[in-house]
Amino acid sequence: MQIQVKCSCGAENCREWVVVELQGTVELNPSFFQTHLQNLQIGQLCRLSSSSQESYTFTVGYHELTGSRVTLKKPLLVLKKVKGFMDVDQSDDKGDLPSSKVELDVIGIIRHKILFKTRPKALISSKLIQEHVAVLWFAHVNARKK
Amino acid sequence: MEKSLRIKGAESVLNLEPNSSIAIGYHALFGSHDDLMLLEIDEKLLPDILHERVALRGQPDEDSVLCTPSKTYAIKFVGNSNSPFLIPPSGQFPLCENPQDFDGEVHGFAPVIKVAPGNMELVEVAPKLDKLKLLLSKNPYGYEDVLEMDFMEDVEKNKARLYSWDDLVGRVQASDEELRNGLWALSAVEIDGFWRIVDEKYMDMILRMLLHNSVLNDWSLDALQEDDVVSVLVSDGFPEKLASHCLHVYGSKVDGDVGRSCVWRLDESRVCVHFARQILSTGKQKMETFMAEWLQRIPGGMQISFDMLEGEVLTEKLGVETWVYSFSVSSLPLTPAERFNMLFRERSKWEWKDLQPYIRDLKVPGLSSEGLLLKYTRRSQPTLDADPVFSSR
Repeated sequence: MQIQVKCSCGAENCREWVVVELQGTVELNPSFFQTHLQNLQIGQLCRLSSSSQESYTFTVGYHELTGSRVTLKKPLLVLKKVKGFMDVDQSDDKGDLPSSKVELDVIGIIRHKILFKTRPKALISSKLIQEHVAVLWFAHVNARKK
Repeated sequence: MEKSLRIKGAESVLNLEPNSSIAIGYHALFGSHDDLMLLEIDEKLLPDILHERVALRGQPDEDSVLCTPSKTYAIKFVGNSNSPFLIPPSGQFPLCENPQDFDGEVHGFAPVIKVAPGNMELVEVAPKLDKLKLLLSKNPYGYEDVLEMDFMEDVEKNKARLYSWDDLVGRVQASDEELRNGLWALSAVEIDGFWRIVDEKYMDMILRMLLHNSVLNDWSLDALQEDDVVSVLVSDGFPEKLASHCLHVYGSKVDGDVGRSCVWRLDESRVCVHFARQILSTGKQKMETFMAEWLQRIPGGMQISFDMLEGEVLTEKLGVETWVYSFSVSSLPLTPAERFNMLFRERSKWEWKDLQPYIRDLKVPGLSSEGLLLKYTRRSQPTLDADPVFSSR
């Protein structure tokens, strides 16, 4: 079986995606009246620049993460699995299961990520703020307990 | 506010001005999106991928590999315990089939479409050509095929065991170039759209007929006219394709004379090795007997030398006699572990000069031949000036 890798974006026009990567997980605020993540704001990404250095902060709930923009050593391609149907004459009788034809489509390329690899600092642990944000940052330990 | 100003995506993050900020949020279609995958690739592979020259190959029960036109890569999944939020560029995300259903990309923030659990990585590997040999050797082309040509029913019946180029591409985990080289190494030939290896006895018949014809017609073995050779062999009852295949297997094209017909020179070494294999196909022989018979079988004008048989035969001493027996590198597996296993089953200890012809064709990406020896053999040297001896690890 062969799965062709296509590139519908056109060879030179592959559009760039970006990754914002943080340690830990982001989850719904349990005390917030909301059951879907869709359309919710996660946080505010801020680029800080001074003459000596540049950094990024990402504020999620009452946590502030500090990180930087990283150029990936090797690019990441975003592939999308596309299912089509195999023509009848293409399926063969030599032991392959009749299968639908699958193609992979390159729909983007990632060359940079904004990486937050440190634990966040708590801004204020006020319950009041907690109740007003939909999503919160959790360390891995908390995530596993769930 | 203008609608277009509110559409944000990856570019808004990438081009974020110093000392400004942007909100990040979940896309209206945020989800696991298992159909979206990340593949880490070397920059040098990018042109092949973007110009659609790569494909994944493998059967459902195999781990699929990625093949460029010339190389084969294993695909490894590397998990990421962090949370990488994937943000597509604005306007691109293709899931928006019915824009009326939701706000689309008109968020006040750069939308995250999924959290990637990890990405795939490529590791260059050797092509899985043992499978090619296995598939083709199940049904070699032989004399019966020539007879069968009149009975189309039988041919139809047998087709299930024959493989076209496309069939092989679907079954053998190798790039096009590696597959072509593999077919060439097996001396395979495409007959009626199917790739076949030719039975050695049948090749022997054609070669002997060719040599016989060259004597009758006073042809020089250094300048065989393809048209003449093939037409005479066809009149002797051999299919045209096989007649010209015989020239490809035992000869090489002579450069320069680009006339109407190609000119071929028979390769002394390949022809002599062929006859040595034929003699030893019935079993081992005493060295003197073998050399005498070999000399007698080869065509006039050719010279034999025992060095030609490197990687084809081994010798052993029984009493005062030296015996020769067939042990061809072409019959051994191409995977290093299996190759060394077979070698050490044949002999528990190998001297370098004997071992070398049996491993020089092994190519493992990222492993030198020195590395191969370290990995699969134990090297011992009885004295400082003695030749090293290799045994199983």
